[in-house]
Amino acid sequence: MPLNERETAHLRAALQGAVVKCSERCLYQSAKWAAELLTSIQSSDTSSEPEDSQMTEVPLEGLPPIVVTGNIDPEEAQLEAREINQYLLAKSLFDCREYDRCAAVFLPDTVLSGILSTATPKNQTTSTPKGKGKGKASSTRTSSTGMFKAPRLSQKSLFLALYAKFMSGEKKKDEDSEMVMGPHDGGNTINKQLVTIARFLEGWFAERESENGHATGSQGWLEYLYGMVLAKDKNEEEAMRWLIRSVHLYSFNWGCWMEMTSLISRVEDLNRMSTHLPQNILSFIFHLHTSLELYQSTPTLANSLSQLLTIFPTSPFLLTCLALLAYHTKDFVTADAHFSNLLSLHPHRLDSLDHYSNILYVMNLRPKLSFLAHLCSSVDKFRPESCVVIGNYYSLLSSHEKAVQYFRRALTLDRTCLSAWTLMGHEYVELKNTHAAIESYRRAVDVNRRDYRAWYGLGQTYEVLEMHAYALWYYKRAAGLRPWDGKMWMAVGSCLQKMGRDLEGIKALKRALLADTYYDAGVGNSFGSGGRERGGTMDPEILLQIAGMYERLEDDVEARAYMEMCVAQEEGAADNLEASIINIHSDSQSSDEESRPGAGTGGGDSGAGTGVTAATSKARMWLAKHAMRTGDYTRAMQLATELCQDGVEVEEAKALVREVRVRLEGGGDQ
Amino acid sequence: MARYLTPSKIGLLALVELYTDAIVPTSSTIPILSFVLNQLLPNNLKSQHNDMAALQSLPFLIDLKAFETVLAPHPAASGLPGRSLWDHFLKKIWDIDSLDALHVFFARRPNLLAKSRDELKKDGEMGIPPPSEDMIMLSRTSPFGSFVRRSKVEFERLRFSDALALWTAFTKWRQGSKAYWSRRNGALGRWAGDSVLAQGEEEWGMEATEMLELVVFGGLDLEDTDEGCVSSDDIEKLLEFQVEQMQKIGSRIPTEIKDKFKGILDESIMVPSLSHYLNFLDAWRSGDYPTSFDNLHRYFDYTMQNRDRLFYQYALMNLAVLQADFGCYDEAVAAMLETISTARENKDNPCLNFALNWMYHFGKAHPNIIKGTDSTNMLGIEREGLAFLRIKAKETGMWTLWSSSLLSEAKLGMSNGESVATIFENLLKSSHLIVDKNIKSMMGPQVAMYSALWARLGVTQLSRQYGDVFLSCHARYALFDDTLRLTGRIAHLLAEKGHYDHAMEKLESLDENALRSWKVNQYWLKYRGILRLKRDLHRNDLDGAGQLLSQLLQSNGPDSDSDLSFEINTLHIDYLIRRTDYGRAMARIEHLASSMKEDGDDINLRIKLLTMKALLQDKCGRPQKGFSVAVRAASIAWRARLIPALWGAMAVLANILASLSEFKASAQILNSVLPRALECENCSLNAQLFSFLVNAYMGMAGQAKDSLKRKENLTKCLDFIDRAFNEYSALEDIKGQCEMMAKKATIMRVVGEKVLANDYASAYLALKKESTLVV
Repeated sequence: MPLNERETAHLRAALQGAVVKCSERCLYQSAKWAAELLTSIQSSDTSSEPEDSQMTEVPLEGLPPIVVTGNIDPEEAQLEAREINQYLLAKSLFDCREYDRCAAVFLPDTVLSGILSTATPKNQTTSTPKGKGKGKASSTRTSSTGMFKAPRLSQKSLFLALYAKFMSGEKKKDEDSEMVMGPHDGGNTINKQLVTIARFLEGWFAERESENGHATGSQGWLEYLYGMVLAKDKNEEEAMRWLIRSVHLYSFNWGCWMEMTSLISRVEDLNRMSTHLPQNILSFIFHLHTSLELYQSTPTLANSLSQLLTIFPTSPFLLTCLALLAYHTKDFVTADAHFSNLLSLHPHRLDSLDHYSNILYVMNLRPKLSFLAHLCSSVDKFRPESCVVIGNYYSLLSSHEKAVQYFRRALTLDRTCLSAWTLMGHEYVELKNTHAAIESYRRAVDVNRRDYRAWYGLGQTYEVLEMHAYALWYYKRAAGLRPWDGKMWMAVGSCLQKMGRDLEGIKALKRALLADTYYDAGVGNSFGSGGRERGGTMDPEILLQIAGMYERLEDDVEARAYMEMCVAQEEGAADNLEASIINIHSDSQSSDEESRPGAGTGGGDSGAGTGVTAATSKARMWLAKHAMRTGDYTRAMQLATELCQDGVEVEEAKALVREVRVRLEGGGDQ
Repeated sequence: MARYLTPSKIGLLALVELYTDAIVPTSSTIPILSFVLNQLLPNNLKSQHNDMAALQSLPFLIDLKAFETVLAPHPAASGLPGRSLWDHFLKKIWDIDSLDALHVFFARRPNLLAKSRDELKKDGEMGIPPPSEDMIMLSRTSPFGSFVRRSKVEFERLRFSDALALWTAFTKWRQGSKAYWSRRNGALGRWAGDSVLAQGEEEWGMEATEMLELVVFGGLDLEDTDEGCVSSDDIEKLLEFQVEQMQKIGSRIPTEIKDKFKGILDESIMVPSLSHYLNFLDAWRSGDYPTSFDNLHRYFDYTMQNRDRLFYQYALMNLAVLQADFGCYDEAVAAMLETISTARENKDNPCLNFALNWMYHFGKAHPNIIKGTDSTNMLGIEREGLAFLRIKAKETGMWTLWSSSLLSEAKLGMSNGESVATIFENLLKSSHLIVDKNIKSMMGPQVAMYSALWARLGVTQLSRQYGDVFLSCHARYALFDDTLRLTGRIAHLLAEKGHYDHAMEKLESLDENALRSWKVNQYWLKYRGILRLKRDLHRNDLDGAGQLLSQLLQSNGPDSDSDLSFEINTLHIDYLIRRTDYGRAMARIEHLASSMKEDGDDINLRIKLLTMKALLQDKCGRPQKGFSVAVRAASIAWRARLIPALWGAMAVLANILASLSEFKASAQILNSVLPRALECENCSLNAQLFSFLVNAYMGMAGQAKDSLKRKENLTKCLDFIDRAFNEYSALEDIKGQCEMMAKKATIMRVVGEKVLANDYASAYLALKKESTLVV
């Protein structure tokens, strides 16, 4: 998706505008994001000086103003001009984190309390204004129209004031909350300002509502704020509506997109709502980002990412996405490489380094993880990301108490730090504190319902407690979030097995087999990394489990087939694999997706098997015994001698050999 | 600041590992082990071996250089030939190539320790074979073992940022050996010692790696601080050492060390409360009382909470001592009495005994203040008090107190003029105790007592020798105060012999740093003043003497040393006599005598006063009036065996006899006294004796009937005049010299040797002239 000069210039101007507008409204994170993106646009050429001046002429005259932007709407512009002094004061106060004072510059507390006291308790959006207006007229000093009476302010000032109110509420909320995971920490402290802001905005929108249900002249910021407030209130449908409206009006507010991401918990939701979105580059990025958040890793995603990278070649955000994409496909080496590259480009950037630490953790690269922790700690000790990285490092050192301490610190710094909740759960599992583990997983899930690790962790914990029904429920949630992760299905399968639901268990485990091959071969190939390709071998554990369940179902044929397959994994050769997969296919009645692995694995099998494992030995033993039962003594003999060679359960194998020999000799005699 | 672990501690751990790896050859085991132990053991446990001398010179905070000097000379027992222990050591520390490796390093430490039985059992269950017999394993309770374990624990309790600080300090610390290490191992990369950066260079390129290094290691601070190289553990050790030194030797902190201390303490967030105590001591010694009060209170404010109220009495005791030094005696006594009662309540015997001992000495020094309080029932009468203290000290095993109470008893006996044998007995007991228990700090008082005793017995030679022995052998371990006092005594003896320059030299040669302490400095200054005053008086430089005397008298307040103040008073009287202001001199003597009677002061001083009074009467031309005084002085001195004083009294008596024309008796006395008096090596006494003898013989010559006898007596006169003249010239006493010259000239004239008489007369004039020239 290469852009031409003109489009690049447009984009650049729009981003410049976005940075200034966001920072005018004190949306620091959005401004940062936009600025990062802005600087990552490749400047056209070395001779860009004259061209630049041509380009910038397009939307704005000359350079973009740094302090305040003009407003296109003349009425707003006039208001803004009138309030400029107060606005500057309010902004400075906000920057000094004196939120209440900032809000009071434009909206003194009397105004806000007036709204609170007169507003009807019912939470309606369209039909209230009249009733409310009447109530209002009695209390406020002016009684011009009887309509909702807000001080006449520009939208910018209004946004700033309400946003300051919102922030003050958040701050108080943080101050009121108890110690993380303390005895009184229920996680249910709420932002007390939400109601006020919601009422106010309700009134404001109602006042300006036109026939089509949209507020006239609104510029999108207040909608964003309203959406955010609604989302905090768990009114997600409504929140989404307002947020979509906001991005229609002003699409360069990344914070708004982020809010939307956090409201989407399933791929289906994403697909459904994407039709309502404006079609521009931001929504494209949003789509990409949200898909990644939902652990998607389709080739189309990779494709769109690479397209975006042609426009913003050095954007740290997109590079992070690239790394995360590799991470989601369990391609850790590539992910590590991407993150490492990112680190060298932006050594002071801590954002999403917690993901990097997860990767290093999984790869067991202790020196590198220690270095990363060192780096984070040197840059900023008190960022949740740093704490998570350090916690991960301690976890890798098996000092779980310390790890918990650092995760706790991360949570104290930011209670919505999802990964910290989950990781803390893991640590509590290690510390055998299942109660605390369940609680922290639960909190993780409450913060973000898309975190499969937390769901999986919950399942695991309940499995430890031998409460399989609960465990199954959570495993299913995890599997739903990551349908292509064999581990999830395996967990579901073994859980079902323990509950004695063998048929379902078999199905789940078969899915696990498929999923494994999907990630290992299919996706790995499509990215051309192939680093950790295992050539489509299947996990002998799973095969053994399936066989075991078939045995319990007294389906000897299937059981034997799976046992054979399990043993076959030792060599991992292509030919018997092919056969085995066909075997699955003939057996499975599930959806079409399962045809894929066969195609995927058919290609470049290295033929490297798993070698002798406990599982394959068990399978071999079973087969030998089976052969004994069915009277196939030569086979039994062969298998038993193999077992002797493998050196696992030698005694039993030797006994078997002796018995076979006796039988054979006996048979010969007869 | 780190609590315990520093880069040098990591180095020590690596060294311990080297040792357990059996790389250290047998021959070099002892130096290596003693090097490590020297760092680990607390100061007071270290013995003073000769071979430790090399280690003593090591800096307190050991850097890499120290390791190199210790390790480089020793070859390794295994590995490549030609590699020294230093190479092996470097390999160990450069193998720690990332923060993670540091964690691993510490996690591996318990491998060095011998396994407990439980662990062996557990290992046996896990299938791990027990370590072979010939491996070097550290016992868990050995100094090494406990060091290893403590380091492990300390590392585990580090927060991440502290671990980081340790790691960065460590990388900085070993940087010095990089050149050598890379030379030994072929060229090393730019990022030797940091595996992540070294690997990263391939990936990121040089520039980005450098940037990352800057970000991570914070290369932006330019100053080369040794941050992280000092732990609060080190500081505490250092402070303890310093406080101990200050209490033991009584000196102040040298200036350059003080600056260093300040630098280190500024760095740390947790200021150890001991540092307040150190400040208190320093301020106290420097005579800055407000600051010392401030710091003492601060110290106890900080320590009270974490050590409970058990130490309350010590606070009070310190306060009392400080108050006494400050001159607030009443407050001091009150505080000390409270100390005593608190110590009784808390059954803190050492504290109680110390307080009682202090009280006793304080009472000796300031009897009028003690009188005000009803403390007599606390200790009873002096001697009973001492006996009580001695028994208490014996019970609680406080050897220092025991020996000091013995010495006090000896001193008491001495000043009361009691049996010399008893005094010797006490001294011997104390000496036995000191040698037996190796109480080096008590050596000073002991020797001082011996020296004083011999001086009183008139064996000046021995007295001086004791002083010299102390200065050359024991001064190192003793309180500086003792050193100063004994030096003063030797200087005094030298001055009595007329070796003023030598005496002055002795005083000048004292340690300059130790003299920074205020009290000591005052004493030193006074002593020097006294020496100069004596010289001036003898040279008849009365104006100069008057000036010096006025200064000395000014500072002769009640808080000054009693010996010194007596000396100053005597010199004052001498000065007045030389000014021929006899009336005031008499008044002065009377005043001194009356105040002395009140206080029950040293008998020796009383005799001296009596003698002086008698002499004054003589000067006034009414020698007979001093007869009873002189007889009393002589009898007391005889009873108390105060030999030099006895000779002085006898001289006066002889003079009185001469004035009564009992020349023969006078000459007899003097003739028998003189040889013994010469042993005392006191020139002025000798000169006086000789001149009195001259008078006696002169008188005898006058009484003689025949000229032969007369001539004989006159020759004897001349002879003794010469000897007296010699003594006077040794003292540089011009007045005495002149007197002798005049007498000689007179005799010559009487004999009829006009020429010689003329010669002597002109010599007299020359002397006079000289003296005026000197003035």
